[in-house]
Amino acid sequence: MSLATLTRPWAATSYGFLDASAKRELRRKMLKAIAVPGCQMPYASREVPMARGWGTGGLQVTLTLVNPRSTIKVIDQGADDGVNAASIRRFISRVSGATETWDTLAASIVQSRHRIPEETLREDQVLVLQVPNPEPLRGVEPNMSIARQMHADADYGRLWLTLYEQIVRKGRIMQGAAYPSLVNGRHVMTPSPIPRWDVPKLNMAKHLTFLSAGREKRLHAVPPYTRVEPLVFSDRPYRVEDHAELVCRRSGIAGYFMNEIPQDQGGSVFEVSDSNLGIKAIRQAGGESVEIGATWYEDGEYSA
Amino acid sequence: MAYVATRGGEKAIEQAERLFRQDLGTIDADRVEAIRQSMPYLVDRVMGEASLYDEEMAALALAQTGGELSEAVLVLRAWRTTQPRLTVAAPLLQRDLLTQRRISAAFKDIPGGQILGPTLDYSHRVLATDVLEGTPFVPPAVDPAETAAPMRQPSLADWQREQGLVGPAQDSLVEPDDIPDLTREPLLFPASRAHRLQSLARAETGGVLALGYAAMRGYGNAHPTVNELRLAQAEVTVRHPSGTPFSAGRVRVCQAEVTSKEKGGYLELGFAASFGWNEVKVIAAATLDLNSAEAPVGSPVHEEFYLYHSESVEASGFCIHFKLPHYVTFQSVLDAMRDAKAMAAKGDQDVSQERQTEPAE
Repeated sequence: MSLATLTRPWAATSYGFLDASAKRELRRKMLKAIAVPGCQMPYASREVPMARGWGTGGLQVTLTLVNPRSTIKVIDQGADDGVNAASIRRFISRVSGATETWDTLAASIVQSRHRIPEETLREDQVLVLQVPNPEPLRGVEPNMSIARQMHADADYGRLWLTLYEQIVRKGRIMQGAAYPSLVNGRHVMTPSPIPRWDVPKLNMAKHLTFLSAGREKRLHAVPPYTRVEPLVFSDRPYRVEDHAELVCRRSGIAGYFMNEIPQDQGGSVFEVSDSNLGIKAIRQAGGESVEIGATWYEDGEYSA
Repeated sequence: MAYVATRGGEKAIEQAERLFRQDLGTIDADRVEAIRQSMPYLVDRVMGEASLYDEEMAALALAQTGGELSEAVLVLRAWRTTQPRLTVAAPLLQRDLLTQRRISAAFKDIPGGQILGPTLDYSHRVLATDVLEGTPFVPPAVDPAETAAPMRQPSLADWQREQGLVGPAQDSLVEPDDIPDLTREPLLFPASRAHRLQSLARAETGGVLALGYAAMRGYGNAHPTVNELRLAQAEVTVRHPSGTPFSAGRVRVCQAEVTSKEKGGYLELGFAASFGWNEVKVIAAATLDLNSAEAPVGSPVHEEFYLYHSESVEASGFCIHFKLPHYVTFQSVLDAMRDAKAMAAKGDQDVSQERQTEPAE
């Protein structure tokens, strides 16, 4: 027996890039985040080999969850081949040996920026959302220490007030993406800048969701089967984007969140934002045997 | 598969990176060494912002990023954070530093003397165009002083303490391993003294200068007097497992102590230190430290404001992330806007020209 047989071969970095101390800290914070749904947990947020604001928070969570048997899907704006999604997916598989996929049904971990896939996620899947700004109160209180106190006091009056003012001024709530939502009846969170279309998918979902902001060093979680309620007034129901009637010009499918493509001659056409759902629909139409899973929306109506 | 064929992002990003690297050409050890030798202050700046003291690696980071500073700092930090923390070096006292430059603006002369050391402070900033005409610039030889300055210089604040001008120093009873480490813990507020000084030490030079300058110019209430500015080499003293302390090498360090006015019977001091020699950074940072105590919440001299916004990797990363596609969030905004307009067109609402409010994403 020699030292060489007792030690692992030298490697420039640990398995999954992050070293054991970073992963241990993250695991603890992720467990805390699950224990207190929607509550932001500060974490050290190590530097990773990509720039802050480019998914480093999501990446750290994924690198902590990943193992060689994992299957990874990474999307940006719903697309698997967005340049940054491709870069992140390639990095994760390079440092972890995980399998890459574009298929939501095949993924064990889905890391996403700004979208939740349209196919319903299962109990054995984890969704990791990249979060630019974890603080739903930032717009009414830029100071983080004060905002923290407001969360502790469940003091959300100023947030309600901004929504009310929008109704008074514009006739409707103008919040686009990142719609503030009450988690488990206690903490208001930002669901990350997913469109309003995607927020209902988090409510009583079968899957676990982590939302991680690397630059701001905060993560929060929505555990499976947890209530997520967008902040709305009882006489003004929550409204998702008006996409139910739109038809994808490539795949022909309808009733999902769409990308608007402006046309030279004026007007717009639409393409389904969940790009791999579109690809699967095209293949299916072409006679290939492709499995399309159950979707949260059916005929443009939320049905899960 | 037409859907896929029209996209092809994965190939594009690979070729884009190749274009960048092609412009820089072959990077070899000679290029790295040339950067290390000819750009010591740039290397110092990068080492300070990366909180990693390794001249060769900092020069390599500069070489492989073509001198894109925020990228150089990021690659160094990303490498650093994967490395184990082996040990904590012994604390340093100012009087133990091997001091090459040490000046004070608070007194005409100070115990130990004003040691100018290497500086451009009094030079005429004239571009040496002769070099481009084919006449190399050969620096004139330095005339040695009749008696060499002592290697170590006392701390001016120590003298001020003896005179009752500066409050007594508080001995810190924290075990070295228990010193808060910003690279392994989140920054929370109010920040510990250790976290504040560590954060300033790795702050982006331009960022800390901008905010420090704002404080100097009038957005802070303390106008700094440089009590002591020091450029030095510090012994990194660590303990062998057998218990014997030894020097693991020397690092270039800089520090500034600024003062302004009396508080509680003593002069207030603001302090900052960093790896490498970077005077403008530590003077600006010490000014922010000095102003912190009385800073109104939300002002640029409040610690939450300046520490968050001078963070090099976070600030540059977030700034460039706006290049990423945002068409989903934009679509969501458009949807609400069109609906509001349609309602207004029906005449039941007044659509004002107010700006859309959307949190930074």
